[in-house]
Amino acid sequence: MELTLNSKDTLSRFLADVERRAFKMAKFASRNTDEALDLVQETMFEFVRRYSARPEGEWKVLFYRILQSRMTDWHRRTTVRKRFLAWLGRGDGEEDQEDPLQNFADPASPNPYDQTVRREDMKALEKAVRTLPLRQQQAFLLRAWEGMAVAQAAFAMGCSEGSIKTHYSRAVHALRGLLEDIRS
Amino acid sequence: MNANDREKHFLGKVKDLLNEGVENLDSQTRLRLEHVRIRALRSAAEKRSRFFTPQRWIMVGGFATATMAAMVLFFWLHTSPGVLPAKHFEDFEIITSKEYIDFYQNLDFYRWLATNEDYPAQGKTS
Repeated sequence: MELTLNSKDTLSRFLADVERRAFKMAKFASRNTDEALDLVQETMFEFVRRYSARPEGEWKVLFYRILQSRMTDWHRRTTVRKRFLAWLGRGDGEEDQEDPLQNFADPASPNPYDQTVRREDMKALEKAVRTLPLRQQQAFLLRAWEGMAVAQAAFAMGCSEGSIKTHYSRAVHALRGLLEDIRS
Repeated sequence: MNANDREKHFLGKVKDLLNEGVENLDSQTRLRLEHVRIRALRSAAEKRSRFFTPQRWIMVGGFATATMAAMVLFFWLHTSPGVLPAKHFEDFEIITSKEYIDFYQNLDFYRWLATNEDYPAQGKTS
């Protein structure tokens, strides 16, 4: 059962491959860098503890299953806390503030105009993804970004394949409506 | 371009932008993610090797030796000096026999009965 050097390397490579996308997903859901890092950390620890001995082909789905579960739990907790704070008349104000420097094009870049347009597109996309309900967000990112099949996404989210199809279809429809500019 | 192609194109562009967002993560976040990964891997390695540490084996061995010593001491102190409840060989046979235990328990009664049975016989003769 001991991790061999080879399997440890494989595991490290796998985690290095998914960690940034996992972080972005967690950040879409939480809108907060620290919360997103905590979610990724909890996911990694649990994944390594429970599933590192499983075949490598199963890792991706299992990793995202833990992450989705953590994000859903986090969302529930936060919703309750927000309601409580709203009842007390306080906002939580935990969302990250945008870095103003990111809005400026880098003059050293070969094409600052293109860079600015891409950055605006990216910002618009991230904003649009954040507006989606959590389940639609998860289904969309797993299917469109991670390239998971319907069955894999259903396993990762712990729901039926029919639900995945519905969430994904609604998410694509909503994003196409919100992102008219980047469609062209 | 039909609707299917348009959707593919749209999703392809979305994927590109999302990947770009990942590539453009700030160095501090990347560093923190790397740190989290290293800690997770280390925790797994520690958890797996924790059982096989020499300290654990020494602890288990010490505990087993102490238990054994305690048991030996207990039996040595509490064992009687070899006096059997049956002092004679005949008594020992009685104790180990299960079949006639009732008989031996009521031996006095049978002796009394045997003694009394003699009197009517004497009475008849007289």
